[in-house]
Amino acid sequence: MRRFTILFALLVAIIPACAARPGDRLVYGLTLAPSGIDPHVNASSELGIPLTAVYDTLVYQDLSCNCFVAGLAERWEVSDDGLVYTFYLRQDIVFHDGIPFDAEAVRYNLERITSDDLASQKARFMLGPYDHAEVVDDYTIRIYLGEPFTPLLDALSQVYLGMASPAALAEWGEEYQLHQVGTGPYIFAEYVPGDHLLLRRNPDYAWGPEIYANETAQVEEIEFRFFVDPATRSPALETGEVQVMGEIPPQDASRLSESDDFAIVPAAVPGVSLMLFMNTARPPLDDVLVRQALLYGTDRQAIVTAIFADTSPVAYGPLAAATLGYEPAVQGMYPYNAERAADLLERAGWSDSDGDGIRDREGEPLVLDLYLMSWGYMPEIGQMAAAQWRAIGVDTVSQVVSYPEALSIASEGTHHLIPFTLSGSDPDILRKFFHSQALFNWSGVNDPEMDFWLEEAAQLGDRQQRVALYSRVQRQVMQQALVIPIRDYVNLNGISRRVQGLRFDAQGWFPQLIDVTLEDR
Amino acid sequence: MTPSYLARRFFHALFVLWLSATLAFIALQLTPGDPAQALLAASGATADQVAARRERLGLDDPWLVQYLRYISDLARGNLGYSWLHGRPVGRMVLEQLLPTAELALAATAVGVALGLGLGVLAAVRQGTWVDVAATAVAAVGLSTPTYWSGLLAILFFSLQLCRFPAGGEGGLRHLVLPAAVLGFALSGSIARMVRARVAEVLGAPFVLAARARGLGARRVLLVHVLRAAVGPALAVTALQFGFLLGGAVITESVFARRGLGRLAVEAILWQDLPVVRGVILVGAVAYVLVNWAADVLQAWLDPRLWEERV
Amino acid sequence: MIEWVAPRRRPLPRQPITLLALAWLLLVVAVAALAPLLPVADPQAIDSLHALQPPGIAHVLGTDFLGRDILARLLWGGRWTLQMGGLALSLAIGIGLPLGLAAGSGGGRVDALLMRLVDAWLAFPPLLLAMAVVAILGTGLVSVAVAVGIAAVPPYARVARSIAREVRAQPYIEAAWSIGCSPWRIAVRHVFPNALPSLVAFTATQLGWLLLNGAALNFLGLGAPLGVPEWGSMLAEGRGYLRAAPWASGFPGLALTLTVLAANLVGDGLQEALG
Repeated sequence: MRRFTILFALLVAIIPACAARPGDRLVYGLTLAPSGIDPHVNASSELGIPLTAVYDTLVYQDLSCNCFVAGLAERWEVSDDGLVYTFYLRQDIVFHDGIPFDAEAVRYNLERITSDDLASQKARFMLGPYDHAEVVDDYTIRIYLGEPFTPLLDALSQVYLGMASPAALAEWGEEYQLHQVGTGPYIFAEYVPGDHLLLRRNPDYAWGPEIYANETAQVEEIEFRFFVDPATRSPALETGEVQVMGEIPPQDASRLSESDDFAIVPAAVPGVSLMLFMNTARPPLDDVLVRQALLYGTDRQAIVTAIFADTSPVAYGPLAAATLGYEPAVQGMYPYNAERAADLLERAGWSDSDGDGIRDREGEPLVLDLYLMSWGYMPEIGQMAAAQWRAIGVDTVSQVVSYPEALSIASEGTHHLIPFTLSGSDPDILRKFFHSQALFNWSGVNDPEMDFWLEEAAQLGDRQQRVALYSRVQRQVMQQALVIPIRDYVNLNGISRRVQGLRFDAQGWFPQLIDVTLEDR
Repeated sequence: MTPSYLARRFFHALFVLWLSATLAFIALQLTPGDPAQALLAASGATADQVAARRERLGLDDPWLVQYLRYISDLARGNLGYSWLHGRPVGRMVLEQLLPTAELALAATAVGVALGLGLGVLAAVRQGTWVDVAATAVAAVGLSTPTYWSGLLAILFFSLQLCRFPAGGEGGLRHLVLPAAVLGFALSGSIARMVRARVAEVLGAPFVLAARARGLGARRVLLVHVLRAAVGPALAVTALQFGFLLGGAVITESVFARRGLGRLAVEAILWQDLPVVRGVILVGAVAYVLVNWAADVLQAWLDPRLWEERV
Repeated sequence: MIEWVAPRRRPLPRQPITLLALAWLLLVVAVAALAPLLPVADPQAIDSLHALQPPGIAHVLGTDFLGRDILARLLWGGRWTLQMGGLALSLAIGIGLPLGLAAGSGGGRVDALLMRLVDAWLAFPPLLLAMAVVAILGTGLVSVAVAVGIAAVPPYARVARSIAREVRAQPYIEAAWSIGCSPWRIAVRHVFPNALPSLVAFTATQLGWLLLNGAALNFLGLGAPLGVPEWGSMLAEGRGYLRAAPWASGFPGLALTLTVLAANLVGDGLQEALG
């Protein structure tokens, strides 16, 4: 037995302990092994974290002015009717495979994205009413739309509509996602699906947008690895296996931010906040008083404190505060007030006549069906909210379901409450949720006025007019008490203090890797 | 090993394959949810666009048509394209096969070694504290979910001792922790079966006779008892193979490894039928091969089972 | 160095360890049955101001991340866990055992057909099969038990068959054949009693497996209904707080292990007593 002990001790001693990696290679931990990483085909946000550095886009979004700036296109024009976009391209750009970038390449990419054979899951739909593209000359391209669509520039600024080398697309076909070629500051060097993705610095890069601080990338290689299990993310950072780790669980984040060796870089993600959709088409939630009572009866601050350790802001309206067109007026609405909630329920005719702690009306108890998906802390939020509602005499039956099942439950309208959240930088995202024909119309809303505002705002060229319409939508959503907003999404990125310059773009998800440096220590 | 025996084995394998593919198809049909909607809803597609995609994927066809297409594709070895990934399923599955096999083999080695050791130890010291201790270790293996023991292993061996990487792939060092954790979980059931079997054999007449002939305890143990114990250990291992394939998904998640298990879970959650089919195919083939190997080994160890085969 | 204790038949009262294990099992069952009557806190009561409290006077075993009392959840949790395990086990035995024994004792075509069915069943990784069943039936006590139980049928059938076949290969069974005993009679009178010790051992093992698979479903978010105290889901929820609050997952883990250990020891003891 002793022999074994000695052997084991020897074995442990031989194996090298944690060693810091050299400064020219950064390891970046991602949370999900993305389901496919062809940006034209696949839809995950994770794919954009590495690939935003591989591809350039026609335009970029500058957070400092909330405007669009030149990218692959040095300037662009929009026709008065909003149907034709003309892009004048830079002439000094080459793909990583040495092929020059031109208008034909743009046309080829758009053609690919919109072809039925590609079966795009996201990029195609971001183009909205896209009709066709026309090469005007070598460096001028025109995009024609079926109807005006103002979010087009926002779409064209995202990696999903990044420009890939036509030669590589033609060569690799269905396996292109393992051999991607763009024009960005990093070259796609290697991808082993589910295991890692390796980027190598592009030494020739000199055409970055003005939002990049550096002309070329500072770190020689960046390796992405996937850490599916949240509990193992912080340990991987602390052992030095990674230097950047996305989506650190809040309870680990507070510990890391107090440490000398690590820091937390929070990135607010714009879009639709995590919120519970209340199905207004199904009694008793067809009664606005009941919906308002639930809003007053939800202590959002307590939820954010207990589950998110106060790392993300409490949400008050349908849009996250980091989104363009966010209406701050919603902030004062529905402060936590259990008495007010009870009062509203009494007014709606719900009182506890049989003394079992659950309100009832005409012999029917007040019970709501709550469906939750297992990600995004929805089960935890659901449990806490249910406990708070119980205190005002509302009972819930909750069930955890898969995403496809949640979609089908919601489209049949057999739910009372389902939470959801979605990221996106343009307020047009509201149309996905509150238009009467929307697939995510989980509140069962059918408001012609709101439909009109949402359709109009997607077509208006003037930003102020758009923002005014979206303000109305947000106020209307809250006045009608269609949702219970809980929290804005904040991505807690844990970093080693050796890492400097990690910033995120307008989408909140995607790092500007060109500006990241890694100090030797 | 006659040709007719091999032919019969082959048809058995085909039958198993067809049956499991059919079960998979039925299970997915019964699962609520629309894959086309799941793929496109968040991207802002309209209801018409979703309907068009559903038609493209053949989801509007009657069940029978979908089933026949599915089986005939399978028969022709055409695994199709993943609805979610947009890549050829055959390649996706092959990519994930190797890392899964690596983990499964390493974990099996750990599990069999540990299971045999604990089982024999418990059996020869039946009723003593050694037995209880060995049984306790096996029970910990049996009852500790790998998502918990795996995390403990990471916190202790990676973070505290700084000896093994917390995750990822790349050589033996990365394999040690996941293989140990999964192997430990596996060893519990092997140890229990081995203990029961060895305890039985220890009382068997031939062992008592061998002892009576004056053979040393160690020799009897090695020759007769271990030989008898390996059979059940193999049987348990072979039928835990499915566990290794699918149950490894948790170990894979905790240790940031890729593999078939994770591919399969994702495919089930997204109802990515072509990938589910691909994984079932590979799983069934692997299962048939492993069990065939286990049967042959068992028959070789116990020639009495051999006769009815030939 | 090797010196084994010759196996011998010992009646239960002469096995102190088995008795201890049996006492633990009975205690767990009793606590589970009487949980509503015990003077403990409400296991579902959330008190987020007192989250992750270490074991102390107010909360003997501490609180979890929502401030729920761990002792109360542990006591109530056995209820769910045992019901799930018991239900799943009876399903696995009820289907698997007759299937395997029939195949193993019958031999020939019956064996071939039944075993192909079991093979197809087994070729499905059990966790994936369980996931598929939960996806179809939804989460809840019965559906999780069915999911886990169905996935446990084929190993049962395989083991029952392999044991039955081994027993069948023994000379005395051949003798029974030769004097013209019916296969059914051989199965019931000779194969089953001789296979019993191995089957008891396997059942004890299997309980561990069932609980483990049920717990794995919790990790994938498909286990017990939300908020319902259950050892597996307590482990799954508590593991995220392993460093800040080891008690949140440590105690349910301990309860699970002790119960499986006790079931194994009782299995061993019974085997010895019946031997």
